[in-house]
Amino acid sequence: MLRYTLKRILTGILALFVLACVTFLLVRLMPGSPFQTGSVSEQVVEAVEREYGLDRPLGEQFLTYMGNLLRGDLGISYEDPGVKVTEIIGRTWGITASLGVPALIVAILAGTAFGIARAVSKNRCVREVISAVGMILAGIPGFAAAILLLLVFSVQLKWFPASGLLSPAHYVLPVISLAIYPAAVIMRLTGNALETEMEKDYVLFDRAKGLGRKQIIFTHALKNAWRPVLNYIGPASAYLLTGSFVVESIFTIPGIGREFVNSITNRDYTLIMGLTIFMGAVVIAVNLITDLLGAWLDPAVRRSYQEEAG
Amino acid sequence: MRVLDIQKLSVQYHTEQGECRALEELDLHVEEGEITGLVGESGSGKSTAMLAVMGLLKENASMQSEGITVCGEPVVPGVNIAMIFQNPQSCLNPSVKIGRQITETVRAKRHCGRREARERALELLDMTGIGNAKVRMRQYPFELSGGMLQRVVIAIALACEPRVIIADEPTTALDAAVQAQILRLLRRIVEETGTALLLVSHDLGVTASLCRRVYVMRRGRIVESGSVEDIFYDPGEEYTKQLLDSVKKKRKLSEGTKEESLLRVENLTKEFDTRDGIRDVTLELHEGEIFALAGESGSGKTTLARILTGILKEDRGTVFYRDELLERNGRGGGRIQMVFQDPYGSLNPCLTAGQALDEALRAAGSPEEKADREKRRERIRNMMERVGLTEEDMDKYPSEFSGGQRQRIGIARALIVRPEILICDEALSSLDAVTQQQILDLLLDIQKEQQIACLFISHDMHVICRISSRMGVMYGGRLVETGRTREVCSDPWHPYTKLLLDAALEADPLRARRIPGISAGKQSTGGRGVQEKGCPFAGECGYAMKCCTEQEPEVYRFGERAVSCFLYSEEHSGRRSRDYIMTSQI
Amino acid sequence: MTVQKRRRRKDLRGYFRKDRRAAAGCILLGIWILLAVLVPLLSPWSYSEQNAAIQNSLPSPAHWFGTDKFGRDLFARVWYGAGLSLLVGLVSAALNGCIGVLYGAVSGYAGKKADLILMRIADVVSAIPSMLYVILITLVLGAGATSIILGLCVAGWIDMARIVRGEILRLKGTDFACAAKIEGIPSIRILTRHLLPNAAGPITVNFIFLIPQAIFTEAFLSFLGIGIAAPAASLGTIIQEARSQMMVYPYQMVFPLLVLCVMMLALNLIGTSLEQRNRR
Repeated sequence: MLRYTLKRILTGILALFVLACVTFLLVRLMPGSPFQTGSVSEQVVEAVEREYGLDRPLGEQFLTYMGNLLRGDLGISYEDPGVKVTEIIGRTWGITASLGVPALIVAILAGTAFGIARAVSKNRCVREVISAVGMILAGIPGFAAAILLLLVFSVQLKWFPASGLLSPAHYVLPVISLAIYPAAVIMRLTGNALETEMEKDYVLFDRAKGLGRKQIIFTHALKNAWRPVLNYIGPASAYLLTGSFVVESIFTIPGIGREFVNSITNRDYTLIMGLTIFMGAVVIAVNLITDLLGAWLDPAVRRSYQEEAG
Repeated sequence: MRVLDIQKLSVQYHTEQGECRALEELDLHVEEGEITGLVGESGSGKSTAMLAVMGLLKENASMQSEGITVCGEPVVPGVNIAMIFQNPQSCLNPSVKIGRQITETVRAKRHCGRREARERALELLDMTGIGNAKVRMRQYPFELSGGMLQRVVIAIALACEPRVIIADEPTTALDAAVQAQILRLLRRIVEETGTALLLVSHDLGVTASLCRRVYVMRRGRIVESGSVEDIFYDPGEEYTKQLLDSVKKKRKLSEGTKEESLLRVENLTKEFDTRDGIRDVTLELHEGEIFALAGESGSGKTTLARILTGILKEDRGTVFYRDELLERNGRGGGRIQMVFQDPYGSLNPCLTAGQALDEALRAAGSPEEKADREKRRERIRNMMERVGLTEEDMDKYPSEFSGGQRQRIGIARALIVRPEILICDEALSSLDAVTQQQILDLLLDIQKEQQIACLFISHDMHVICRISSRMGVMYGGRLVETGRTREVCSDPWHPYTKLLLDAALEADPLRARRIPGISAGKQSTGGRGVQEKGCPFAGECGYAMKCCTEQEPEVYRFGERAVSCFLYSEEHSGRRSRDYIMTSQI
Repeated sequence: MTVQKRRRRKDLRGYFRKDRRAAAGCILLGIWILLAVLVPLLSPWSYSEQNAAIQNSLPSPAHWFGTDKFGRDLFARVWYGAGLSLLVGLVSAALNGCIGVLYGAVSGYAGKKADLILMRIADVVSAIPSMLYVILITLVLGAGATSIILGLCVAGWIDMARIVRGEILRLKGTDFACAAKIEGIPSIRILTRHLLPNAAGPITVNFIFLIPQAIFTEAFLSFLGIGIAAPAASLGTIIQEARSQMMVYPYQMVFPLLVLCVMMLALNLIGTSLEQRNRR
C-alpha cells in the first residue's frame, strides 16, 4: 500500500512535469506573437519581447519558466500587464469550482440512483425508458444541452435567470447542463456493474438465506459495484473543467473556463500556459486521490497494508 | 413425517432457440432428521430442481408443480429451508466481513439486536468447527481457505434455523481431506440439530457415505429411488448400473514395456510468491508407462506439468530427455504434449476443431506436411476419427460440442503431432462419471496402441490406483512418496499418502460410511498455506515429531520406493544392514 | 468454408431481429451516412456559396432547413457538416484504434519490464485531460480537420490500449494459449491468430465508442471557434454560427443540433447493444 501510494504520487509528479514541458513547447511553437497587433511598430514589439525575455534562447526560457513554476509563479499575463496569472486563477477558480463540485455531486447522485433503478427495477418498462433516456442524454454535447436549457427555461419559460451567478437560482441551469453527460455515463457504469453483480453466486446465496431484495442490493451488491464510478470521477472532473469553457461562456459566468477561452482568442501565451498547467494539475490530483481511495477501500489491499504496519 | 415434499415439479427454460424442458414431473421427499441423496450427472437437472424449490430460478425459466411444501407449509427461503452451494468462494460476498454475513442472517431470522446476533454467530461458528471464531468474524472471505469458507456457509445456513437444508455439491470444490471433514460435519449437524438434509451430488462416494435414501436422476427425471443399499448393491435401472460401473470397473494395469528412462527430472525447483511452487522434485518416467501424480490442488502438480511442457521456466534443476539435456525454448518439437483439465478453456473459441488441429500440425508436422494443405487435412481427418469424432465435426466451433467431445478434440490436438510423452493434467476431473469412463478408455487405448509414455495427473485416487503402473504423491510442492502403484496403494508409507487413500470415498455404502477421522490440523494459518520450515506436512500430520517442524526430511530410497519422511530416516528407525527390508511405519 | 459463412450470415440476421436497438442504430447511421454523401453531391445549392437575396429564410420546399445569415442553404450545409464530423470521427477512431490495439497487444504479450514501462508511459499521458492537448495542438497547427485528428491521437488510444492489454493478459493465461505454446507456434502467430480474435468483442465496443467521442470533441472545438476553419463547416461550426441569432431564428440551431444528436444516438445504440451482447 505504502509502495503503491508512493508510486502513484511519483507518476502524478511525472505527469505534471510532462504536462509543463509539452505545454511550454507547444505554446512556443504557436504561430504569431501576441504583440503583433498591427498598430505597433517593430521596435516596440522587440522591446516588449525583450522585457518578457522572449528573445533569449528557448532552453534558457524553459529553465526560467520551470524555476518560476516550482516557486508557484506562473508569470504575468501578456494581455493585461501587471496582472499575475496566479492572481487570475485565484480570482476565477473558486467560481468554476462552485459550479463543478455541485455538478459532480448531482451527476454521481442522479447517475447512481438511475443506474440502480435501471439494473434492478422489476418493471421492464422502467428499465427500458431509463436506459433509452440515458442513451439520448449521453449523445447530447454539453454546449447543446446548455443552449437548449437556456432557450427553454430561461428565454421561453423565464424560470431561471440566463446569466451571471448572483443567487442560488443562477446556479441551476449551468450545473444541470454540466452534470447531464457525466450523469449519463455514471448511470451506464453503475447499471452495468450492478447487473453483473446481481448475476453472481453470492446474491443467490443471500436470497437463499432469506435477505430482502433491498438489503441485498444496498448492503451487498453495491459494495462491489462502486469501483467503476470511483474510477470515472477523474475523467469526469476533466470533462467538467473543459465543459466549463462553453457553459461559462454561454451563461456569461466569470470563471476559469471563460478566462481560458478569452486567453485563446487573445493569444495570451503565459495565461494559456498557466491555465493549462493549473487545470492539468487539478485533474492529475483528482485522479491520484480517487486511485488511492479506491485502493484503500479494497479490503484485500487494506489488509496487506495493515499486515505491513503490524 | 415428510419435512420436504415436492410433487410433480416441472421446469422449462425459454431460450433463444425455443422452449427447453429441464425437469419433468419430479417427485421427491425428505423425511425428518434424514439425509437423502440426489445423484446424477452434470446437466441432469439437479441444480435446476433445487433452485426451483428455493424459488431462485432466473427470469427465463418457468415452473409448475402440484405443491412444494416444508412441513405442510409453503417454502420460504431462509425461514424453513436453507441452501449450501458448491463453491464457497463465490457465494460469500468478497467485500463483506464474515461476521457481518452471519449476523445479518441471524437478525433477518430472529429480529434481534446486534449483540445477540453476534453471540449467536460465535456459537454457530463454534458449532461448525471453526476455531478462533472472534478473529474469523473480523476477516474477509479471501483470508480463509476453501474448507473454512464452506464451514462459514454451513454456519449461515444453520443461522436460518431451517427444517431442511439443501446441500448442492457441498464438497465438489474441496480437496479430498477437507471433503471428509465437511462430510463429517454435515452428518454431525443432522444428528445434533435434527435438521433434514438433501444432499445433491454427482459423486457416488459422497452419496454413499452420508445418505440413507437415494434418488437417481437423469435428463430431468427421477429414474430410480430407494434405500442406499438397494441402489448401490442391487441397482434396477440400466443407467444406475452404468454409473456404478464407471466408478468400480477394474482395469488391467499397463506395465511399462521397458525400464528405459525416457524423461528424467532432477531437483526441479520453481518458486512463486504465493503457493503452488515446487521444490527439489526428482522423478523418472519410463518408456510406455503410465506414471500417476497425486495430490490436492495447490500441491504443485500443475506447475510441474507446465515446466515439463515449457510453459514455465524452472528456477533450478535439470530435465533429461533420453539422457540428453532437454532444450525447452518453447519448441520441444512436439515431443511432450498435454491434455488440459478444463475442456471449455482449453480450446480456442475462435477456431474450428479442424483449424485447431491444423495449427498444431503446421507448427510441428514434417516439412512436406507444412507445405501441403491436403495432406494435413487427411491426417486431421484420420485423427478425428481415431478419437471418435466425424469429418463434419472438423468445421464446427468448440461451442457446438459437449464437454466430452471437446476433451476428445483436446486429445486429438495433443496426439496429432505424435508426441512421445503425453501429460494429462486432471483431464477427466471436469467430466461426469460416464463420460469420464469413455474418455479414460480412449486415452488408455491410444496409450497402449502407440506406446506413449503418460504422466497422469489427478486428485482421484481411485483412477490412479486403477490405471497407473507407478505413482508419485505431491504435497506442498514436494514429492513425498514414489513407488509402484500397487504397493503404494495397498501399503502407503507416508502419512499424507495414507490420508489421501483414506479420504477417497468408495461408492459402497458400508465402507464409505466410515468417513476417516482426519484431524483438522492446527489451523494456525487459517488452514491455508504450508509450513515455512521443516516438513510441509508437519502441521497436519498425526505422526509429527519434534524434528519434523525443525528440519526438512530428505528423500529416503528403498529400491523402487522413495519416501520423504523422518519415520524412515536412519535416526528414527535405527541403523540398518544392507539387506534390511523397510516396511510401513504407520 | 461456405457453410461457415452462411451460418455466420444467418447468425447476424437473427441477431438483428432479436436486438432491435442495434438494428435501429445501424439503420439510422446508414441513413445518415447516405445523406451525408448524397446531399452535397445532388443538392442544387452549395454548402459555402453565399447569397444575399435569401438571407435567414425560413424552412421551405426549396430550402428544407432554411438558410443562414449569409443566405447559405442549411440543408446542404448541415449534411456536408455531418459528413465532415463523421469523417473526423471515423478517421481518428481508426487511428486511435490501431495505435491502441498495437500498443496494448505488445504491452500485454511482452509482459514484465516492457509492460511496466509502456503502461507507466500510458499512465502519464492519460493523467492530463486530453482536451487540453487537442486545444494546444490546434492552436499550433492552425484550425482544421487534420490538427483535430492529430490532437485526438495524442491520448485517445490509451483506453483502447488498456483494454487490449487486459484482454491479452487474461487470454495469455488460458489453457488454449498454453496449448498453442506447447505446440511450438511462433509468438507472433499466437498473438494474431489465437489471442487477438478472442479480444474482438471488447475491441469493437471500444472502437464504436471512440467515434462519438471524437465527434464530440470536434463539435466542442468548432463551437469554441478553434475547430474546423471556414469555408469548411462541421456541425459544431454551424451551431456556433447560429448562436448569435438563436433567439430570432432558433431553427438555424435546432436542425444541426438534431442531426448531431441523432448521429450520436445511433452510434451509442450500436455501442451499447454490442457491449450488452459481450457481457452475456
